[in-house]
Amino acid sequence: MTLVAPARSTHLTVNGAAVEVAVPGGTRLLDVLRIELGLTGAKEGCGEGECGACTVLLDGQPVNSCLVPVGQVEGRSITTVEGLARDARLDPVQAAFIDSGGVQCGICTPGILMSARAFLDGGVEATDTAVREAIAGNLCRCTGYTRVVDAITNAAAKRPREIAGGQPAVSREIAALGIRSEIEAGSDVRVGAALVRPGTLAEAYALLADGAWRPIAGGTDVMVELAGATHADGQRLLDLTDIDELRGIRVERGCLVIGATTTFAEMRRSRLVSDHLPVLAEVAATIGGLQIQNRGTLGGNIANASPAGDSLPVLLATDAEIVLGGPRGERAVPASEFFTGYRATGRGAGELIVRVEIPLPAARRVRFRKVGTRRALAISKVVMAVSWREAEGAGTAPDAGAPSVWRDVRVAVGSVAPVPMRARAAEAILEDAVPTAQTADRAAAAIAAEIVPIDDVRSTEAYRRAVTARVLRRIVRDAGGW
Amino acid sequence: MTALDTHAPTRMARTAPEVDARPAGTIADPAADARSVPRVDAVPKVLGLARFTDDLVVPGAWHGCTVRATVPHARLLGIERDPGFDWSRVVVLTAADIPGDNVIHLMADDQPVLAADEIQHFGEPVALVAAPTLALARAARDHIRVHADPLPPVLDMLAADHIFASYAIDRGDVEAGFAQADLVVEGTYRTGHQEHIYLEPQSMIAIPRPDGGVTVHGSLQCPYYVHAALKRALKLDADRCVVVQEETGGAFGGKEEFPSGPAIHAAMLALAVGRPVRLIYDRREDISVSTKRHPSVIRYRTGVTRDGRLVAQDIDITFDAGAYKTLSAVVLSRGTLHSGGPYACPNVRIRSRAVRTNTPPTGAFRGFGAPQAEFAAELQADRVAEKLGISPVELRERWAYRLGDRTPTNQELRESVSALDTLRAAARAADFEAQRRVFAAARSIDGGRTVRGIGLAMGWHGAGFTGGGEKYLASVAAVELTAEGRIRVLVDSTEMGQGMRTVLAQIAAQRLGIPLGEVEVARQDTSVVPNSGPTVASRTTMVVGGLLATAADRLRAAVEERAGGPFPATYSADARGNGGLRFDERFDGYPDIVWDETTYVGDAYPCFSWAATTAEVEVDLDTGEVAVRHVVSADDCGTVVNPLMAAGQVEGGTLQGVGYATIEEMKVEGGRFVNDRLATYLIPTAQDAPRITAVLLENPFSNAPHGAKGLGELPMDLAAPAVVAAIADATGVWIDELPATPERILAALDADREEAST
Repeated sequence: MTLVAPARSTHLTVNGAAVEVAVPGGTRLLDVLRIELGLTGAKEGCGEGECGACTVLLDGQPVNSCLVPVGQVEGRSITTVEGLARDARLDPVQAAFIDSGGVQCGICTPGILMSARAFLDGGVEATDTAVREAIAGNLCRCTGYTRVVDAITNAAAKRPREIAGGQPAVSREIAALGIRSEIEAGSDVRVGAALVRPGTLAEAYALLADGAWRPIAGGTDVMVELAGATHADGQRLLDLTDIDELRGIRVERGCLVIGATTTFAEMRRSRLVSDHLPVLAEVAATIGGLQIQNRGTLGGNIANASPAGDSLPVLLATDAEIVLGGPRGERAVPASEFFTGYRATGRGAGELIVRVEIPLPAARRVRFRKVGTRRALAISKVVMAVSWREAEGAGTAPDAGAPSVWRDVRVAVGSVAPVPMRARAAEAILEDAVPTAQTADRAAAAIAAEIVPIDDVRSTEAYRRAVTARVLRRIVRDAGGW
Repeated sequence: MTALDTHAPTRMARTAPEVDARPAGTIADPAADARSVPRVDAVPKVLGLARFTDDLVVPGAWHGCTVRATVPHARLLGIERDPGFDWSRVVVLTAADIPGDNVIHLMADDQPVLAADEIQHFGEPVALVAAPTLALARAARDHIRVHADPLPPVLDMLAADHIFASYAIDRGDVEAGFAQADLVVEGTYRTGHQEHIYLEPQSMIAIPRPDGGVTVHGSLQCPYYVHAALKRALKLDADRCVVVQEETGGAFGGKEEFPSGPAIHAAMLALAVGRPVRLIYDRREDISVSTKRHPSVIRYRTGVTRDGRLVAQDIDITFDAGAYKTLSAVVLSRGTLHSGGPYACPNVRIRSRAVRTNTPPTGAFRGFGAPQAEFAAELQADRVAEKLGISPVELRERWAYRLGDRTPTNQELRESVSALDTLRAAARAADFEAQRRVFAAARSIDGGRTVRGIGLAMGWHGAGFTGGGEKYLASVAAVELTAEGRIRVLVDSTEMGQGMRTVLAQIAAQRLGIPLGEVEVARQDTSVVPNSGPTVASRTTMVVGGLLATAADRLRAAVEERAGGPFPATYSADARGNGGLRFDERFDGYPDIVWDETTYVGDAYPCFSWAATTAEVEVDLDTGEVAVRHVVSADDCGTVVNPLMAAGQVEGGTLQGVGYATIEEMKVEGGRFVNDRLATYLIPTAQDAPRITAVLLENPFSNAPHGAKGLGELPMDLAAPAVVAAIADATGVWIDELPATPERILAALDADREEAST
């Protein structure tokens, strides 16, 4: 077997033009655009995927270019703000931003325009709610968003408009300004991490055995970490996104099977997910903004093992199994046993998360609630998933509307312990019980006692304890209909 | 304190006169107004071709980094370079390398460019590093150890022993006022640090000049502040320091005084290396060390009569200035002068102080002390209304300033008073009283998961610099007809998103009678433009715009006389035939404005802008989460130049206020800001932002030739108290500390329940 050598250059299409860049594959796409190609429209506002100022379109979908290692976009198409206007005409969305007052300081504008373009291309009706969700991954500090939302709403009615004085050609612009990497002594981006792109699991396992390669998929966690490190050039990244065996959503043997590199956006769009486990689409919609959902993967969320990982309580509550693969074959670990300590998992050094298998028992209900500091782009303060099957209670008349007895109850909660955890005491109270107020109160008291939250930068121990109890009580109450 | 008979009539002694359905000069749809021309810099911005500092390509540039203190207070012993590191391609500078004075020149000159003897706050610059690559510069920074002998830090503003500035204002006899009162209400209000989160971090590029000086290109608000600071620290004469403002990605006060430090740092490195040096902060460094809004503790004692007359206010204000004075004396002054709220009161005592703590210095931030004071003033007003059993609108109708009233500094409000107009406009646009009843009725029916409420606040904002500040600044603005026949506006006022470039060009074009496209605004380069004062204090449209209007009038008259025809038709040919003309207009005070800086008596501001804001919220009783659904802001800023852009100011400022009210919490541990990332210091996203309705009122200011007052800061003052009042309306609990986080709301609800059950 041949090992895949780190690519020396990456071929991609930028604003319709074929481009070859000779930089390490772990180099941020943002740096390639700004420093290698002189396309400075995408801005760096935070370097960790929180502000969206660096948003570009990757095959038409918005992504944060600060979190994309350029090696991953081999053969793919990038559109930057400089590519929006064509033939000396403004894109309708650009014209709408000008007319509606959607531009103030202009630093977030290029990123918002790209999110807006992707939204408009998606053909979804431009309601206030839909537009706000589409740009939730783009922070703006000047406008209050009012005129930005107006602009996007109005863009559908606009036509391309002549640019007074003709289009300042980007190529001419680059020539005038020069390219930083060529002109400045100190703007060398050729110091990024190395990146390899195996096409099969077997190749990936062989590289992993070497011990020096770090798996990366959507990069929404790994690239943030690398940005904080002084020496990114010492890192070696093992890209998993080119491996077909890790992809896809299917239903097999009564399970919903999700490949590890399935993105949250793919889960949101999946018909199988909405038919069989719609709560997973609900979860996916709460993770980051669209830029993060387009890149972040289920396997990555599991491997990162943050106690606040939003998808993890649902996996615990639905008896999901994490399937690990390695050179000696595969093994399945129940999600409830996978997380072994703070940011520690049962994945061996030579193993990869291959897929997740979620059983689909009949008559199961699953509820999910995330409590964060804001409505989008928030890391959870408490995140909970509860599942149960409804059975007719002993002695309860089977008439419609009467609450049923809960069976196979699972209560899983994140951000309240070093690991996402099952709340076994609360489960025991709810098991074989009717969801009455008394049951809910007892379960709430039990979960408050069994979690071990802390004070940290996001919230307090007391708040997390109180809210965990109330959220559980509310879920039981809503199910009980009282 | 006297308990009020709740059955006593609460009819107002001084009922409001009937007003028209809509006051004159209200702009209901800013986008539809003919003056709402698109901003002149919009096209390059939407094309992605506007160049911000970090977008510039500078041949041969090196990268700079800053070595910082990691303790809040210490005696500085020195720095140590790791002997194992290769220093051959690295330049390291310390305080000993500063060519001039080791001060960042501002007001008190107490802040060093680099710490020399003592470290006063976490993150204080101690040394500078430059290297050919960013990676090498960062590596070098990480191989320098700062040796320091820790000293006990002062971290609690109420325990601070050093006062940077203090004020005392007295009007009438406050004790006599309280003696008349039937009810005395006391309250203590607290606010925390707020971070600007301009989306473009602090950025500077310094380039050595052939004459031995330096040109600094950067993201900044006040070119001449930076210019003065460079001269002093680098010991350079004025001509050899040049400051050029590049496209600036938001500022909000955060690029008023702070950029002088990084500008000096970049310039020192550039001169030492003999090459251009880029000094671009990443977000984490920016949040860790840049200035913040002053935290405050404000105490009120308010006396009212049974029929709701305001008879006494006793106000005590403490602002946390952080480790150095920066602009704290002026911030505190504005806070002090606004603390009475827009309310007439015959007996007022105000005491205030800004104190030193070992935390990063606080500084300018949109509103400049007023948001803290007006948050407290408005919550206090609401508490009084609640005790009197009257609606918040009714109380404010009773208390609001009318024409001819006098402020605590004995300033007679002689013109352009719109407190009641804005109050009524906001209440009407929000249908305040009806909504309040609807929400109350909904709450009384059932204990659902969420409850809704509506709140209101009103306020004022003094336009321009305080007291004699404008006269002292003596700003200059110029309009030039060039020899080539073009019209140029010459000001150092900066565009940072607020629309200076467009608004000032509109003023000039309108006065000259020519199309907007024929006016060019010269670049903000200190070697080209005069000092028209800092772009702060909501002063640019009013003061600089006023100077420009006059300069344009003079130019027009001169050309028309010379050319013998109307300006628009003749100016271009006239210039080519008779040469260029330029009129510089210097500010020399508004007539009849008298202010005594020593006694704090007189006309604190030339005029005031007025606003009222309502907020509707939905509170989740399980989690304390607040969704702000709709905000109405009615603002009088005098004659509006560009209604669409004015609305943009109102909407943006309102959302910053909503963030301040709800989620923007800077957490300080041991003098360090611990949530120094955009993942941990959160600002509202589009999904958190309420629908914002901006209603503009135009009550002109007669001393400005174009009638404009200030606007930029006004909308920042009121969203926070309106949101907190709405939370109280929804839940029955008052959150006296900003931000009103879910944690605080839940704790207050629990305490309330406990109290009710005991």
